[in-house]
This record gives sequence, structure tokens and C-alpha cells, in this order.
Amino acid sequence: MKPRLYLALIIIPLGLILAAVPANTTHPYKLSPQDLLEYVNSGMQYFSPDEVAHMLVSKDPSLVLIDVRSEDEYEKFHLPGAINIPLSSMLEDQWKDYINQDLRYNVFYSNGTVNANQAWMLTRQLGYQNNYVLQGGLNYWVETIMNPTAPPSTSPDEEIAKYDFRKGAGQALGGGAVVESSSQPAPALPKIAPRPKKKRVEGGC
Amino acid sequence: MGPLIINDIITQNTNFFLAFLIGIGFGFVLESSGFSSSRKLAGMFYGYDTVVLKVFFTAAIVAMLGLLFMSLFNWIDLDMVYVNPTYLWSTIIGGAIMGAGFITGGFCPGTSFCGASIGKIDAMFFIGGMFLGIIIFAEAYPLLEPFYKGSFKGTPTLPHALGLKDGVVVLGIIIVAMGMFWVGEWAEKKFPREEY
Repeated sequence: MKPRLYLALIIIPLGLILAAVPANTTHPYKLSPQDLLEYVNSGMQYFSPDEVAHMLVSKDPSLVLIDVRSEDEYEKFHLPGAINIPLSSMLEDQWKDYINQDLRYNVFYSNGTVNANQAWMLTRQLGYQNNYVLQGGLNYWVETIMNPTAPPSTSPDEEIAKYDFRKGAGQALGGGAVVESSSQPAPALPKIAPRPKKKRVEGGC
Repeated sequence: MGPLIINDIITQNTNFFLAFLIGIGFGFVLESSGFSSSRKLAGMFYGYDTVVLKVFFTAAIVAMLGLLFMSLFNWIDLDMVYVNPTYLWSTIIGGAIMGAGFITGGFCPGTSFCGASIGKIDAMFFIGGMFLGIIIFAEAYPLLEPFYKGSFKGTPTLPHALGLKDGVVVLGIIIVAMGMFWVGEWAEKKFPREEY
């Protein structure tokens, strides 16, 4: 009986200590500035307008466009299917399931790239995966997809093909009249239960 | 600092190596404490030997205390620790099937490999049955999938469900476990078995 008594005498006070102290809610995980700089320099966080246009035209369900501008700006114009998460309210609980998930590609965009990059840095700092930034923002989008400039006829075939794709995609995505406001609200995404990043086989007994 | 892998403190390969060492240690201790005997394991269901209950609850308590203290010292971020997602009905039915296999076969999956490694024939048959079950499940998966993935509950935890602090729940579980150990020892005296 003795060793069991000792065991209980150790374990129960430890439990009492845990019950008494406040829970630790700080998150020691932090992206080191070095890592972040490396990541930013590599430009891996960018989705080019062509990639996004291609996914939009082919109705790729893994793409989620997130407009980080204010609600007013979003109402005026937004990319087809985009949802609006203003940068100022990004950390609210209601958006957590959208920005912390491992099923889809979230692509942030704003007019330029500054706000979208800020949003990306936030999610990066929080350790969330699968968040990206639309390269060049809406301005560049309008320039390349909505109103592409024809390359000179002496250009290589790839340039011409790119132009043709952009022209087609621009038309399909409501090009020409750029400031056309689409009044229909963005489709609500089904709620995704957040899943942890790494899945490993767990041991039973 | 932790979890070690997610924060890239150790690589995936180091992780596998550590898991390999820990696995060998785990199997060794299981075998040396008699867990390769199906009679000892089945004793849990008849009440003459409740070592299974005691061992696994002690392991759970030690792990809980360890994790919470490490979280307190900022050694690990509990939000990043993997929590098994809960699919309610498949968990209940799966648990029942596992229990039925446990009591008829006399092993649970881990201990069957312990038994097989010291040459127990019944453990080898148990492993064969396990693979048969895996094959049947895999082949019937299209039929079972809606059930298997149904009633998804996310990753609920006891403190969350009860609205209590982690530490309070841990203390509660320790007290409950101590009570169960006491009942277990009482059952061992009540339903003794001479040789098994």
C-alpha cells in the first residue's frame, strides 16, 4: 500500500496546484523576424492575377478571395465570389474559421498590396497556413485582366497567348465596365471547423 | 518552444527517430509488466486484474500534469497540440467493436504486437484478425463513409464542454481515477483468481 500512498501524495497536490493557478494563455509561438524576411523576399505569398483569373474562370472551389478593404469599398466593387473581411476586424472570432483552415487557398487583396500584405503578415504571425496575397492588388488586376494591353505583333507566341487569355478572362469576369457593381452578395462559405496543422497517426494502447 | 515539430525545432525525420525509440521503450515496458498476457488483460473485464485500468489512467494523469505544467512554464503552446477530432457515432460504435475484440481476443492492438514479439501464437492470430478487419473496413469504406464521417463534433475537450479551467478538470480526473483505482483493488480482492 505504501508506494501507492506516496504516488497519491505527489499527484494530488500537483493537481491542486494546477487547479489553483490561472491558465497560461500566452502563445509562445512567434515567427522570427529572420524567417519572415526570408519568406517575404522569396515572394512565395503571392498569387499572380493570371493564376487567380484562371482559378476563377475554371470555378476552382479551392480558391477563396478575401477583400480586406472597408465594407463601402467592397460594396462598390469586388472580385467575383470574394468575401469581405476588413483588415480592422480581421482578428474577430467570426473570421477565425475562414483564415485558419487547411482546405483552401485564401487570397487577400486590397487596392494595392499594402493592406493585403498586412493581413497576410498577421495570419503568418498567428501561424495560420494557406493565406496568400493577390500580386499587385486590384489596381494591377484591372490593368492586366480587365484592360490588358495588346502586345506588339512581333511578340513571342507566349505573350500573345497570355494576352488572349487575359482578354477572355477579363470578359468572362465582367471586364470592360470595371466599376460595375455586382449587387448580389458573396456566397456564404460553409463553416469549416478549424483543424490542426499537422496530422499524425495517434497511438492507442 | 514546443510543440517541437510544428515550430521546426526538430525535423520530421528526427521526430520519426524519437518515435521509434519511444515506441521500443513503450513496447519493452508493456511486455515486462505483463501486458503480453491476454489473461491479464482480460482480467479487466472480469475484475480479477485491473492493471490495465491503473496503467492507462496513470499514464493519462502523468501526461495531463506534464502538459499543463509545461504550458505553465511556457514550454509548450497547448493550442498547437493535436486533438483528435470527434466523430460521435463512429467513435461510439468503434469503441464497442474494439471492446468486443478486446474481450474475445484478449489483446488490444498494441499489446498484441507485444505478445507476438515474444512468440505468442494467439497474439499472431489476433494480428491476423486485425488485418482482416482493416481489409473489410477498407473495402466497405464507400458504404460506411457517410456514417464514418457523420456527426462531426470538431475537437471538443472536457474543460471546454464543462466550461471549467483545465487545471480544475485535471484535479477532478485525478480524484475520479483514485476512486476507480480503489474500486479496482476492491474488485481484485472480491473476484480473485488463483492462476492466470
